[in-house]
Amino acid sequence: MADDQSFDLAGCLDRVRKRDQIAARELVEHLHPLVIRICRAHLPRRVAEEDLAQEIFLKMFTRLDQYQGSVPFTHWVSRIAVTTCIDQLRAQKRRPELRWADLSERETEVLDSAMTNENDVAPGDAVAARELVHKLLEQLKPDDRLVIQYLDLDQKSVAEISALTGWNQTLVKVRAFRARRKLQRLFRELTERERS
Amino acid sequence: MNKHGKAWQRLAAAARQAPVAGDASAPFGFSTRVAALAFVAERGAPSIFGRLALRAAVVAGLLAVLAIGVNYSAIKAAFEDEPQIIANDDPIAEVVDIGS
Repeated sequence: MADDQSFDLAGCLDRVRKRDQIAARELVEHLHPLVIRICRAHLPRRVAEEDLAQEIFLKMFTRLDQYQGSVPFTHWVSRIAVTTCIDQLRAQKRRPELRWADLSERETEVLDSAMTNENDVAPGDAVAARELVHKLLEQLKPDDRLVIQYLDLDQKSVAEISALTGWNQTLVKVRAFRARRKLQRLFRELTERERS
Repeated sequence: MNKHGKAWQRLAAAARQAPVAGDASAPFGFSTRVAALAFVAERGAPSIFGRLALRAAVVAGLLAVLAIGVNYSAIKAAFEDEPQIIANDDPIAEVVDIGS
Protein backbone atom coordinates (compact mmCIF):
# COMPACT_ATOMS: atom_id res chain seq x y z
CA MET A 1 0.00 0.00 0.00
CA ALA A 2 2.85 2.30 -0.80
CA ASP A 3 0.97 4.59 -3.17
CA ASP A 4 -2.33 4.94 -1.36
CA GLN A 5 -3.10 8.23 -3.08
CA SER A 6 -2.76 7.00 -6.66
CA PHE A 7 -4.61 3.71 -6.24
CA ASP A 8 -8.28 3.92 -7.24
CA LEU A 9 -9.73 1.48 -4.73
CA ALA A 10 -13.39 2.13 -5.53
CA GLY A 11 -12.80 1.70 -9.25
CA CYS A 12 -10.78 -1.44 -8.66
CA LEU A 13 -13.55 -2.93 -6.49
CA ASP A 14 -16.11 -2.21 -9.20
CA ARG A 15 -13.96 -4.02 -11.73
CA VAL A 16 -13.42 -6.97 -9.39
CA ARG A 17 -17.19 -7.28 -8.95
CA LYS A 18 -17.43 -7.50 -12.73
CA ARG A 19 -14.98 -10.43 -12.52
CA ASP A 20 -12.00 -8.57 -13.92
CA GLN A 21 -9.03 -10.77 -13.05
CA ILE A 22 -6.46 -8.02 -13.63
CA ALA A 23 -8.29 -5.81 -11.14
CA ALA A 24 -8.32 -8.70 -8.66
CA ARG A 25 -4.54 -9.02 -9.01
CA GLU A 26 -4.08 -5.29 -8.49
CA LEU A 27 -6.25 -5.43 -5.39
CA VAL A 28 -4.20 -8.31 -3.94
CA GLU A 29 -0.95 -6.46 -4.62
CA HIS A 30 -2.33 -3.28 -3.09
CA LEU A 31 -3.55 -4.98 0.09
CA HIS A 32 -0.71 -7.48 0.50
CA PRO A 33 1.46 -5.31 2.83
CA LEU A 34 -1.52 -4.76 5.16
CA VAL A 35 -2.50 -8.44 5.21
CA ILE A 36 1.02 -9.81 5.55
CA ARG A 37 1.73 -7.49 8.48
CA ILE A 38 -1.28 -8.89 10.32
CA CYS A 39 -0.26 -12.46 9.40
CA ARG A 40 3.28 -11.97 10.67
CA ALA A 41 2.08 -10.44 13.91
CA HIS A 42 -0.40 -13.22 14.66
CA LEU A 43 1.10 -16.18 12.85
CA PRO A 44 0.31 -19.51 14.52
CA ARG A 45 3.06 -22.09 14.91
CA ARG A 46 3.73 -24.25 11.84
CA VAL A 47 1.58 -22.13 9.51
CA ALA A 48 3.23 -20.48 6.51
CA GLU A 49 2.47 -16.78 6.26
CA GLU A 50 1.82 -17.06 2.52
CA ASP A 51 -0.81 -19.79 3.04
CA LEU A 52 -2.52 -17.69 5.68
CA ALA A 53 -2.45 -14.59 3.45
CA GLN A 54 -3.93 -16.61 0.58
CA GLU A 55 -6.76 -17.85 2.80
CA ILE A 56 -7.51 -14.28 3.89
CA PHE A 57 -7.61 -12.99 0.31
CA LEU A 58 -9.88 -15.83 -0.81
CA LYS A 59 -12.28 -15.02 2.03
CA MET A 60 -12.16 -11.38 1.00
CA PHE A 61 -13.16 -12.19 -2.58
CA THR A 62 -15.90 -14.59 -1.46
CA ARG A 63 -17.44 -11.98 0.83
CA LEU A 64 -16.92 -8.95 -1.38
CA ASP A 65 -20.66 -8.65 -2.08
CA GLN A 66 -21.24 -8.22 1.65
CA TYR A 67 -19.07 -5.11 1.84
CA GLN A 68 -21.46 -2.19 2.27
CA GLY A 69 -18.90 0.63 2.54
CA SER A 70 -19.88 1.60 6.10
CA VAL A 71 -16.22 1.22 7.21
CA PRO A 72 -13.06 1.86 5.16
CA PHE A 73 -12.27 -1.13 2.95
CA THR A 74 -8.86 -1.64 4.61
CA HIS A 75 -10.57 -1.94 8.02
CA TRP A 76 -12.98 -4.48 6.58
CA VAL A 77 -10.09 -6.53 5.18
CA SER A 78 -8.19 -6.18 8.47
CA ARG A 79 -11.14 -7.68 10.31
CA ILE A 80 -11.20 -10.66 7.96
CA ALA A 81 -7.45 -11.06 8.45
CA VAL A 82 -7.69 -10.80 12.23
CA THR A 83 -10.56 -13.28 12.54
CA THR A 84 -8.81 -15.73 10.20
CA CYS A 85 -5.63 -15.54 12.29
CA ILE A 86 -7.62 -16.01 15.50
CA ASP A 87 -9.43 -19.02 14.02
CA GLN A 88 -6.06 -20.54 13.08
CA LEU A 89 -4.66 -19.86 16.54
CA ARG A 90 -7.71 -21.46 18.15
CA ALA A 91 -7.42 -24.47 15.88
CA GLN A 92 -3.83 -25.20 16.78
CA LYS A 93 -3.23 -27.67 19.56
CA ARG A 94 -2.85 -26.68 23.19
CA ARG A 95 -0.08 -24.15 23.76
CA PRO A 96 2.99 -25.84 25.22
CA GLU A 97 3.89 -24.64 28.67
CA LEU A 98 6.84 -22.26 28.55
CA ARG A 99 9.76 -23.35 30.70
CA TRP A 100 13.03 -21.67 31.49
CA ALA A 101 14.80 -24.45 29.59
CA ASP A 102 12.88 -23.52 26.42
CA LEU A 103 14.60 -20.15 26.29
CA SER A 104 17.85 -19.58 24.46
CA GLU A 105 20.87 -18.24 26.36
CA ARG A 106 20.30 -14.79 24.89
CA GLU A 107 16.62 -14.87 25.81
CA THR A 108 17.34 -15.79 29.43
CA GLU A 109 19.80 -12.89 29.63
CA VAL A 110 17.19 -10.53 28.19
CA LEU A 111 14.57 -11.83 30.62
CA ASP A 112 16.97 -11.48 33.54
CA SER A 113 17.81 -7.98 32.45
CA ALA A 114 14.15 -7.02 32.12
CA MET A 115 13.34 -8.47 35.54
CA THR A 116 16.23 -7.12 37.54
CA ASN A 117 17.46 -4.05 35.74
CA GLU A 118 15.63 -0.75 36.07
CA ASN A 119 17.14 0.36 32.76
CA ASP A 120 15.84 -0.60 29.33
CA VAL A 121 17.00 -3.80 27.66
CA ALA A 122 20.11 -3.20 25.53
CA PRO A 123 19.27 -2.32 21.90
CA GLY A 124 21.51 -5.18 20.71
CA ASP A 125 19.12 -7.62 22.37
CA ALA A 126 16.08 -6.43 20.41
CA VAL A 127 15.78 -9.60 18.29
CA ALA A 128 16.09 -11.87 21.33
CA ALA A 129 13.54 -9.69 23.13
CA ARG A 130 11.12 -10.05 20.22
CA GLU A 131 11.54 -13.84 20.20
CA LEU A 132 10.95 -13.96 23.94
CA VAL A 133 7.90 -11.72 23.67
CA HIS A 134 6.41 -14.02 21.03
CA LYS A 135 7.03 -17.07 23.19
CA LEU A 136 5.25 -15.37 26.06
CA LEU A 137 2.38 -14.24 23.84
CA GLU A 138 1.90 -17.82 22.62
CA GLN A 139 0.83 -18.67 26.16
CA LEU A 140 -2.16 -16.34 25.96
CA LYS A 141 -5.60 -16.97 24.50
CA PRO A 142 -5.69 -15.88 20.82
CA ASP A 143 -8.01 -12.88 21.43
CA ASP A 144 -5.96 -11.66 24.41
CA ARG A 145 -2.72 -12.16 22.51
CA LEU A 146 -4.01 -10.06 19.64
CA VAL A 147 -4.97 -7.17 21.92
CA ILE A 148 -1.59 -7.14 23.66
CA GLN A 149 0.21 -7.38 20.34
CA TYR A 150 -1.62 -4.31 19.05
CA LEU A 151 -1.37 -2.35 22.31
CA ASP A 152 2.18 -3.01 23.46
CA LEU A 153 4.05 -3.91 20.29
CA ASP A 154 2.26 -2.00 17.55
CA GLN A 155 1.32 0.79 20.02
CA LYS A 156 -2.17 1.18 18.68
CA SER A 157 -4.89 2.91 20.69
CA VAL A 158 -7.94 1.12 22.07
CA ALA A 159 -10.08 2.93 19.47
CA GLU A 160 -7.84 1.75 16.64
CA ILE A 161 -7.95 -1.85 17.88
CA SER A 162 -11.70 -1.61 18.14
CA ALA A 163 -11.89 -0.44 14.51
CA LEU A 164 -9.52 -3.16 13.31
CA THR A 165 -11.15 -6.04 15.13
CA GLY A 166 -14.78 -4.97 15.34
CA TRP A 167 -14.76 -5.53 19.13
CA ASN A 168 -16.13 -2.72 21.28
CA GLN A 169 -13.67 -0.65 23.32
CA THR A 170 -14.77 -2.08 26.68
CA LEU A 171 -14.10 -5.60 25.41
CA VAL A 172 -10.65 -4.55 24.18
CA LYS A 173 -9.84 -3.08 27.63
CA VAL A 174 -11.10 -6.18 29.43
CA ARG A 175 -8.99 -8.44 27.19
CA ALA A 176 -5.94 -6.23 27.71
CA PHE A 177 -6.40 -6.35 31.48
CA ARG A 178 -6.81 -10.13 31.47
CA ALA A 179 -3.81 -10.61 29.19
CA ARG A 180 -1.52 -8.39 31.29
CA ARG A 181 -2.50 -10.26 34.44
CA LYS A 182 -1.73 -13.57 32.74
CA LEU A 183 1.62 -12.23 31.49
CA GLN A 184 2.56 -11.15 35.00
CA ARG A 185 1.70 -14.60 36.28
CA LEU A 186 3.84 -16.15 33.54
CA PHE A 187 6.78 -13.95 34.52
CA ARG A 188 6.36 -14.96 38.15
CA GLU A 189 6.11 -18.67 37.32
CA LEU A 190 9.11 -18.57 35.00
CA THR A 191 11.34 -16.92 37.56
CA GLU A 192 10.10 -19.12 40.42
CA ARG A 193 10.75 -22.27 38.39
CA GLU A 194 14.17 -20.99 37.48
CA ARG A 195 15.03 -20.46 41.15
CA SER A 196 13.77 -23.90 42.12
CA MET B 1 2.67 -0.98 38.02
CA ASN B 2 4.33 -3.91 39.80
CA LYS B 3 7.73 -5.44 39.14
CA HIS B 4 6.45 -7.96 36.57
CA GLY B 5 4.37 -5.36 34.76
CA LYS B 6 7.42 -3.10 34.42
CA ALA B 7 9.51 -6.02 33.19
CA TRP B 8 6.93 -6.72 30.48
CA GLN B 9 6.94 -3.08 29.40
CA ARG B 10 10.76 -3.06 29.19
CA LEU B 11 10.70 -6.28 27.19
CA ALA B 12 7.99 -4.98 24.81
CA ALA B 13 9.95 -1.75 24.31
CA ALA B 14 13.04 -3.77 23.39
CA ALA B 15 11.02 -6.01 21.03
CA ARG B 16 9.73 -2.92 19.23
CA GLN B 17 13.33 -2.00 18.36
CA ALA B 18 13.84 -5.26 16.44
CA PRO B 19 14.04 -4.81 12.67
CA VAL B 20 10.83 -5.56 10.78
CA ALA B 21 11.10 -8.98 9.16
CA GLY B 22 10.96 -9.48 5.41
CA ASP B 23 9.57 -7.66 2.43
CA ALA B 24 5.87 -6.77 2.63
CA SER B 25 5.20 -6.79 -1.11
CA ALA B 26 3.48 -9.80 -2.65
CA PRO B 27 5.86 -12.56 -3.85
CA PHE B 28 6.08 -13.18 -7.59
CA GLY B 29 2.98 -14.92 -8.92
CA PHE B 30 1.07 -14.67 -5.64
CA SER B 31 -1.55 -12.18 -6.84
CA THR B 32 -2.12 -14.09 -10.10
CA ARG B 33 -2.63 -17.37 -8.21
CA VAL B 34 -4.97 -15.83 -5.65
CA ALA B 35 -7.05 -13.99 -8.28
CA ALA B 36 -7.39 -17.18 -10.33
CA LEU B 37 -8.34 -19.25 -7.28
CA ALA B 38 -10.90 -16.64 -6.22
CA PHE B 39 -12.76 -16.78 -9.52
CA VAL B 40 -12.52 -20.58 -9.71
CA ALA B 41 -13.99 -20.79 -6.23
CA GLU B 42 -16.87 -18.53 -7.29
CA ARG B 43 -17.53 -20.71 -10.32
CA GLY B 44 -17.53 -23.75 -8.07
CA ALA B 45 -20.37 -22.34 -5.97
CA PRO B 46 -23.64 -24.33 -6.06
CA SER B 47 -25.53 -23.70 -9.32
CA ILE B 48 -29.22 -22.83 -9.55
CA PHE B 49 -29.86 -26.35 -10.88
CA GLY B 50 -28.13 -27.83 -7.84
CA ARG B 51 -30.15 -25.73 -5.44
CA LEU B 52 -33.42 -26.61 -7.25
CA ALA B 53 -32.50 -30.29 -7.17
CA LEU B 54 -32.12 -30.12 -3.41
CA ARG B 55 -35.52 -28.46 -3.08
CA ALA B 56 -37.05 -31.07 -5.38
CA ALA B 57 -35.64 -33.83 -3.17
CA VAL B 58 -37.21 -32.23 -0.08
CA VAL B 59 -40.59 -31.82 -1.80
CA ALA B 60 -40.47 -35.45 -3.01
CA GLY B 61 -39.75 -36.61 0.54
CA LEU B 62 -42.71 -34.63 1.88
CA LEU B 63 -45.00 -36.04 -0.81
CA ALA B 64 -43.89 -39.55 0.10
CA VAL B 65 -44.71 -38.95 3.76
CA LEU B 66 -48.07 -37.40 2.77
CA ALA B 67 -48.91 -40.39 0.56
CA ILE B 68 -48.18 -42.80 3.42
CA GLY B 69 -50.35 -40.67 5.74
CA VAL B 70 -53.31 -40.57 3.35
CA ASN B 71 -53.15 -44.31 2.62
CA TYR B 72 -52.27 -45.35 6.15
CA SER B 73 -55.47 -47.32 6.77
CA ALA B 74 -55.08 -49.27 3.52
CA ILE B 75 -51.43 -50.05 4.28
CA LYS B 76 -52.30 -51.11 7.83
CA ALA B 77 -55.12 -53.35 6.61
CA ALA B 78 -52.82 -54.98 4.06
CA PHE B 79 -50.33 -55.84 6.78
CA GLU B 80 -53.04 -57.18 9.10
CA ASP B 81 -54.42 -59.45 6.33
CA GLU B 82 -51.02 -60.76 5.49
CA PRO B 83 -50.82 -63.63 8.07
CA GLN B 84 -54.15 -64.93 6.81
CA ILE B 85 -52.91 -64.86 3.23
CA ILE B 86 -49.70 -66.59 4.22
CA ALA B 87 -51.69 -69.22 6.12
CA ASN B 88 -53.92 -69.82 3.09
CA ASP B 89 -51.01 -70.13 0.73
CA ASP B 90 -48.90 -72.24 3.05
CA PRO B 91 -48.46 -75.70 1.43
CA ILE B 92 -47.80 -77.37 4.79
CA ALA B 93 -51.02 -75.92 6.15
CA GLU B 94 -52.82 -77.24 3.13
CA VAL B 95 -51.28 -80.70 3.57
CA VAL B 96 -52.28 -80.69 7.22
CA ASP B 97 -55.78 -79.63 6.21
CA ILE B 98 -55.97 -82.52 3.75
CA GLY B 99 -54.75 -84.93 6.37
CA SER B 100 -57.43 -83.84 8.84
